[in-house]
This record gives sequence, structure tokens and C-alpha cells, in this order.
Amino acid sequence: MANRDELKALLQEVFLLTPEEFRFDMTRDDVETWDSLGVVSLAVGVHETFGYHMTPEEASSLRSFGDVVAILESKGIRFDEPS
Amino acid sequence: VRILVERHAPEDLAALDEAWRTAETFALVPEKAGVSEEWLRAALASLPSDLRQHHFALLTSGSTGRPKLVVGARARAEALAGTLHDVQQSEEVGETILALPLSYCYAFVNQWLWGRLFARTLVQTRGVARLDMLRAALRDARSAMFCLVGSQAPLLLGYFGEEVFDGVVRLHFAGGAFPQNDLDRLQRMFPAASIFNNYGCAEAMPRLTVRPAFDGRDPRDVGPPVPGVALRTSGGGAVEFRSDYAAVAFFDGEFHRVGADDWLESGDLGSIDERGRLHLEGRAHEVFKRYGEKIALPALLESIHCGWSGDAAFYRERDANGEEAHVLVLAPRAADAAVRAILAVFRSSHPRPHWPLRIESAEALPLLANGKVDVGRLRHLPERTVHWRQRF
Repeated sequence: MANRDELKALLQEVFLLTPEEFRFDMTRDDVETWDSLGVVSLAVGVHETFGYHMTPEEASSLRSFGDVVAILESKGIRFDEPS
Repeated sequence: VRILVERHAPEDLAALDEAWRTAETFALVPEKAGVSEEWLRAALASLPSDLRQHHFALLTSGSTGRPKLVVGARARAEALAGTLHDVQQSEEVGETILALPLSYCYAFVNQWLWGRLFARTLVQTRGVARLDMLRAALRDARSAMFCLVGSQAPLLLGYFGEEVFDGVVRLHFAGGAFPQNDLDRLQRMFPAASIFNNYGCAEAMPRLTVRPAFDGRDPRDVGPPVPGVALRTSGGGAVEFRSDYAAVAFFDGEFHRVGADDWLESGDLGSIDERGRLHLEGRAHEVFKRYGEKIALPALLESIHCGWSGDAAFYRERDANGEEAHVLVLAPRAADAAVRAILAVFRSSHPRPHWPLRIESAEALPLLANGKVDVGRLRHLPERTVHWRQRF
């Protein structure tokens, strides 16, 4: 599975989003299930899926799904490949 | 101390009758006791000399996964059977149909011992394991008392459909949730029966309250205590009781004697209203705090059944942060759409700490002989599917 699809599946699973409502440009204001435990769950999921362990500062600074992509891209994980 | 193993055969009754007439204390255990022989021997060896005569012992607490051997005094049990005869207005009852294991305290006192004391016939069946035998007994019933646990009600209604058994005059439920939603259908199936919601526990040997089913519509209202029983709730809501009929000792890995002034916990949480009626909130081990949120597993099960028509149960485990948590098991195996529907219920109705750690499914939930979910086996089901999980 492409990185983009893997991240999409992870975000949907962690925040209980349906495929129909999911968008990569969603912010935490768009996601009613975005809470501190959700961010912990996301950080664990990122580590399990992409092998990168987010720092507590990175995790707490997340404001959108785009921020997750940006952090991972900064670590060399690419999301621009075709899915 | 003798061990009687229940084999669901007529010989059980003869052996029990003989054991009750003999002074020597005995333990009645199911064939699949769920404990090792070594554990049982240790439990019986722990009994002091004054409990080695005129007492009896039964196993309990499979539903919490922690076995316990409960010791009762025969005189107390006979006194309770007499009290129940009056409270349950059993004089007109001529026979009692056995659909539960006799090693289950409810059936033992309410049916076998009551029948013995009041010279009523005990009709043995294999319960829902042999529905043909049970149907024959119900068709032949004459002024019969029939005792069930709540989980047997849907099976009965599903199998016997619209059949009417008008020879049953008393229908008792105890153990697990009272089948309030099935009450009208049950009354149609048993039109001559007075239906009762019974509440108790093995440590009470076993009855604490009894209420006629139509004396209210709230299944959590289990009524007032029977004469000889006092109830209270602790600060945390734990239901506690003192009873003239209660167990005198138990073994849960260690021997414990129950003092005359001791308050025993029933294992449930609840409250007592101004009329002295007990209202249950759930099993004590089913209500806990998770990240500061009060989690009531019975309430979560109610939510789940809005989007799931199969069976469902929880077992407990700790998450990666060491917090108490719960895992949901569905049966039969769930389709992805069904799991998504359940997750949608969690998302819309419950904050994240209420969400289970995982959603799993299996072909069937493991049950104890009394119809309750066997939580000990639930957590170790070999062939289960994990549909969804939280990541911590």
C-alpha cells in the first residue's frame, strides 16, 4: 500500500472517520474525535506504520492532518507517489 | 468432605438426597468445574472441623473468572427455601422444571431443596442443551415452577416460537440481566405464569430480593429484600448485604469465615430508593474509571445493541499506559459494515475513554453452565478476528 493510503487508513481508524468524510486537508476543528488520547493513538500508529517516533512536542503541536504529512516528509517519508 | 459431581442424570437426585440426609458436609460441583482437582482439594481441606458436618459447598464466580467455593449451612438454606415458598407464593406449585445445573445455587435452593422440603416433584431436563426434552417437560407441565437465567429467554422464544405452555404457573429469572424486553412475549408463551425477577448471588445462598415482573418496567429495579435480608450500599455504590441465609465461609485461594456481623458484597453496584427497593447499575467489575471517566460496561452494551443484533460481551485488560480498559467481543463473526456501525455509535455517543481497546469477533461467546458469559475463557478465545483497535 502506498504511504498516502496507509496514512489515510490510519487517520480514519484513529479518529473513526468514514471514507466519505475524510480529507487530507482536515484540521482538528473539523474532527470532533480529535482529543489528547487520539493524538497519542495517532503517534503510536505513525510509529507502527512508518517507523518514526514522533516527539511529544511534535505530537502536541499537530493542528491538522497536513501537519502529520509535513512531519513525516521532513523525515524522508514521501507522500507524492501515485496511489 | 465428599465431592458430588453433577452428571445431569437421575442419579444426581438420589445422591443429593442421600448427601443431605447424611451429616458429612459435601461439595456439589459441575462436571466441568473450571478449577483443578488440586484447587478443589485445597479448598475442601481448608474447612475447619465445625464446617465438616451439616454444611454444603458450591462453586461460583466463573463470570468474573475467579473461582470461589462457597460454604452454606443446611439449616440456613432450608430456612431460605421456606421463606421463598411464602414470598414466591409457591403453595399452588406442584412441580418444578429444572433447566439449570443443580450445582448453580439458584436451582439448588429454589428448586431442588424447595422441592425436597415441600414434597414437590423435580422434573429434570438438560435445559437449552436439549430443547426437545425441555419442550416435552413444558408440554406435560402441571402447575409447574420454571426457573431460568435471563440469557435463556431469547433462545426459548426463538425455538418455541408461538407455542403456549399453560401448565407453568411460576416463571422465575435470576442471574444476569432480566429479560424485560421479552416480557410480553414470555407472558404469551406462559399465560398462566406469574413471572418473577429474582436477585441474589452465591454468597447469599442465593436470594436477596424478589419482585413480580409486572411490578414495574425498569429491569434494574430488583425489588425489596426478602425477609431476613438487610441491604445497604457503600460509598462507592457497592451493594452489601447481611442475611440469615448467607454463606458461612468461602475459599478463593484462601479460607475466609463470614462473621455474624459481616456485610458481604454482592458483586454489584446499585442504589436503594426511599421504599427500600434495590436498583442495580451493573456488576462491580463492570464499572470502573478510565482516564477519569466512569465506564459502565452494561450501559456500553446497551449502546452497542443499537447497531448490533448478535451477542456481545467485554473483558477487561490494561492499556499500554497501565489504565484499566475493556475489549469488546462480538458473536457470531462480524462483517466490516457491522463493526463500522458499532464504531459510529461509539463516535456519536461516547468519549474516547469509553471506546474499547479492540473490537474482536468469534463464532460464539463461551458460556458457563448457568448461561452467563465465561469471562475467563472469553479473553483466551483461540480463533478470534480483531477488527479494530486503539493504538495504545
